[in-house]
Amino acid sequence: MSEIDIHPRLKQLGRNGWKVGVASLLLGLVMALASGGARLFFQSYLVAFLFWFGLALGSLAWLMVHHMVEGRWGFVTQRILEASSRTLPLLALLFLPYLLIGSPQLYPWWGGVESLAWHGINYHVSHKLMYLNPAFFTIRAFIYFGIWLTLTYFLNRWSKDMDTTRDPRISLKYRWVAAPGIVLYVFTMTFAMTDWGMSLEPEWFSTIYGFLFCVGQGLSSMCFTVIILSLLAEKPPLSSYAKPDRYHDLGKLMLAFTILWAYMSFAQFLITWSGNLPEEIKYYMHRTGPELKGVFTILIVFHFFVPFFILLMRGVKRVPATLRTIAFYILAVRIIDLLWVLGPAFRDNHDHIFGSAVEVPITLAVLAGIGGIWLTYFVKQLTQRPLVTAFDPRRDEAFAHDHHHETEALDHA
Amino acid sequence: MSPHDTNVAALEPSIPLIAPGHTYTTISDKVAGIVVTEPQPKSWKFGILIGAIGVMILNTAVIYLFYKGIGIWGVNIPVGWGWAIINFVWWIGIGHAGTLISAILLLLNQQWRTSINRFAEAMTIFAVMCAGMFPILHLGRPWVFYFILPYPGTLTMWPNFRSPLLWDVFAVSTYATVSLLFWYVGLIPDFATLRDKARNKVGQWAYGFFALGWRGSARHWFRYETASLILAGLATPLVVSVHSIVSLDFSVGIIPGWHTTIFPPYFVAGAIYSGFAMVLTLTIPVRKIYALEDFITQRHLDVMAKVMLATGLIVGYGYIMEAFYAWYSANPYEKFMIYNRMTGPYWPAYWALVLCNIVTPQFLWIHWVRNNPIVLFIISIIVNIGMWLERYVIVVTSLHADFLPSSWGSSVSWRNLRPRKTSSWPRKKSMTRATSRSMRLRLFPWTVSRKRLGSRRPDFL
Repeated sequence: MSEIDIHPRLKQLGRNGWKVGVASLLLGLVMALASGGARLFFQSYLVAFLFWFGLALGSLAWLMVHHMVEGRWGFVTQRILEASSRTLPLLALLFLPYLLIGSPQLYPWWGGVESLAWHGINYHVSHKLMYLNPAFFTIRAFIYFGIWLTLTYFLNRWSKDMDTTRDPRISLKYRWVAAPGIVLYVFTMTFAMTDWGMSLEPEWFSTIYGFLFCVGQGLSSMCFTVIILSLLAEKPPLSSYAKPDRYHDLGKLMLAFTILWAYMSFAQFLITWSGNLPEEIKYYMHRTGPELKGVFTILIVFHFFVPFFILLMRGVKRVPATLRTIAFYILAVRIIDLLWVLGPAFRDNHDHIFGSAVEVPITLAVLAGIGGIWLTYFVKQLTQRPLVTAFDPRRDEAFAHDHHHETEALDHA
Repeated sequence: MSPHDTNVAALEPSIPLIAPGHTYTTISDKVAGIVVTEPQPKSWKFGILIGAIGVMILNTAVIYLFYKGIGIWGVNIPVGWGWAIINFVWWIGIGHAGTLISAILLLLNQQWRTSINRFAEAMTIFAVMCAGMFPILHLGRPWVFYFILPYPGTLTMWPNFRSPLLWDVFAVSTYATVSLLFWYVGLIPDFATLRDKARNKVGQWAYGFFALGWRGSARHWFRYETASLILAGLATPLVVSVHSIVSLDFSVGIIPGWHTTIFPPYFVAGAIYSGFAMVLTLTIPVRKIYALEDFITQRHLDVMAKVMLATGLIVGYGYIMEAFYAWYSANPYEKFMIYNRMTGPYWPAYWALVLCNIVTPQFLWIHWVRNNPIVLFIISIIVNIGMWLERYVIVVTSLHADFLPSSWGSSVSWRNLRPRKTSSWPRKKSMTRATSRSMRLRLFPWTVSRKRLGSRRPDFL
C-alpha cells in the first residue's frame, strides 16, 4: 500500500520522535543515577508510562464504544483510535523494565512482611500480601496485557479484513467483541491501577480509584484523538467527513469526561474527608497539605472549572484549531493530575510531588522520552492503513441522514 | 450471502421506530383517541381497581403507623433505618429513568426516546411523590416535617447544612419541580390536540386552559424546542446529582458497607437500572392493552433492554468492587461486613440480590430475549425486586452488626418487616433470636474471633 499522506508535522514526529525519545530517556536515567539511583528514574517512569499508556488504552476503549454505538464521530476517528490501540504491544515492552527493575524498588510490599515493617507500615497490611506479592503481581500484569492485546488484535484485524473483503458480516463481529470488551477493559483497568498505583501506599484503598483512572484515560485519549484528527483532517480523505458537527460531538465527549472526572474525584474526596478514617484520610492529608495545597487548587480550577466553562461554549467545539488547543491544555493538566495522585506516594512523608529539584527535569525527560518513542510508533501505525475505512455499511447508514440532521437539529450545546 | 452484499440490514434487520404506513394524522388520531374518544377497555377499570385497593392498603398502613409509631417496621437501634429508607431509595431510583430518557437522550439526539418519554416522565413524577412520602413517614413527628427546611422562624432553629439528609431535601424537591415542568412543557402541544378533539365543554375548557393558547405556529414550536432544551440542560445534572446525594446519605458515615467511594456512581447506575426496569414493566402491558405496537416497537424494547444490561453491569461492577476492596482494605470491620452479608443472618437477601441484579440481566445479551416482550417483562420484574433487595441489604445488613459487640446479634428479621398487631417491639422474640445468633457464632470460628475482639479496637485504628 502506498504511503499515506499525513500532516507534515506528524511526519516529522514520525521521523525524529524516537531519537529525541531515546536521548531523553538516557538523559533522565543518567540524571537519576547521578543524583540518587534508579529509583528516581522509575518513579518518573511510572507517571510517564501511565500517561502515554492511557492514550493507547483509552483509545482502545473508545474504539469499542464506537463499535457498540456506531455514532458518526466514531467513523471519523476509527483509524486514529485503531492506530493508537496498535501501540499497545510497544507499551507492553516498555512495561517490562518497570516490572523487572522498577517495581521491586517502588512497592513497599515487594519484599514481604519485613519490607512492610521497614517502611513503617502497619502490620495488618500483611493480610494483603496474598494479593500483593511479586509473583501474583507479575502474573496479573501478563493477564491484563494479554486481554488488551487480544482485543486490539481482533478489532484491528477485522478492520483490515473489512477493507479488503468488503464483508458486512464483520460489523456484527465487532459488536460481539466490543460489548464484552468494554466490561473486560473496566475490570482489568481497575485491577491494574490497584496494582500499579494504589498499592504504592498499601494501607490506603478506595473503591472508585480504578474507575477514576478509566475516566482519566477516556478524557486524555479523546483529547489526543481530537489533536490528531484536526491535523489529519486538513486534507482529504478525512476532510470530507470531519465536519464541524463531528468536532462538536467530540468536544461534547471531552466536556462529558471533564465533568465525569470532576464528579468522581469530588465523590472520592467528599466521602473520604467526611469519613475521616485514619487509613483513608492520609491520602488527602498528604495531597492537600501545606506543600500540595496549591496543586490541589490548580486541579480544581484548571482541570475542572476552566475546561468546563470553555467547553460549554458551542463555538469552541466547532472550530478544529480551537478545540485542538483545548485538547493540548487538558492533556497538560492530566499530567499534573497524574503527578499529584502518584507523586506523593513515592515520598517517605508523602507530602511532596518531587523529593528534590532534580526530579523535575528527570520527570520531564522521561515523559518526553517515552512520549517520543511512543509517538514515532503511533505515526508509523497511522500510516499503515488508509485514514478512512474503505468499506463500512454502518458508516454509510450513519451518514445517510447527515444532511437531514444538520438542517433539523437545533443547537444541542 | 454474497460478500458484496452491502445491505447490513439484511444481517440484523433494524426495525423502524414507527411502523410503516403512518402519517401525522393517523398518529394523532390514535394517540389522542385513547384519551378522548375510545371507551376505556375493561382492563383499564381492572387496573384502576387494583391501584385503588393498593392505595387503601397504604392508607390503612399509614394510619396504623401514625397511631403506633415506626416501631411497627421492626426498626430499633442499631438498625434505625429500615423500611422507609429502603423504599425511599427504591422509588427515587425508579424516577431516574424518566429524567434520563427525557433529558440526556434529548441532548444525545436519540430519536427513539419520543415514543416512551411521556410514560417515563409521568412515571418519574409519581415515583418522586412516592419517594417523598417515606422520609416524612419515617420522621418521629411527621407533622413538623417543615423543620427540615431552612426558614427564618421564631425558633431560630436551622437544619444541619453539613448533613446529606438536608441536601436530599433540596435535591429531591428540585428534582420534583424540574420533572414536573418537563412533563408539562412536553404536554402543551398535546393538550392543544386534545382540546381540539374534546367532545364536551368541560374537556375543551380544561385542556384549553392547560394548552396555554397553543396554536401550533412556527414561533410556538420554536419556543417549545428551546424550552425543552433548556429544561434538558437543567435536568441532566439532576439525573446524576439526586441519586449521588442519596448515596451520600450512607457513604458520608463510617459504617462499613456504607462508607465507600464508589457509592455515588454506583447508586446512579442502579437508579437508571431500576428505572428502566420499571419503564419496561409499565410499557409492555400498556402497549398491549392500548394496541400501541406501531409506536412502541420491538426496537424500543430492544434499546431499553440494552440500557438495562449496561447499567446492570455497572451495578455488578459496584458489588464486585465493594467485596474486593472490603477484603483488600484489611480492615477487620470491612472484612466482617462483607463476610456477614454473604454468610450472616441476611445471606438469603444478599444472594437473592446477586441472582436478581447480576445473573438475570446477563440474559439480555441474547437478541431473542431482548425482543420477547414476555421474557423482558419477567426480567424487568425480577430486576425491580433485586433493586429493592439491594437497598435492603445496604441499609439493614450494614447497620445490624457494626462496631459494637452489643449489636452483633441480629435485630430485624424477615418476619419483623411486616406490621405487627402486638406491642411495637417484641422483646422476647428478639432475645430468642439473639441467643440463636450466638449459638451460630460458635459454629463459625472466624466470627467467634471477631467476637473475642470485644470492644477493643484493632491497634491500627
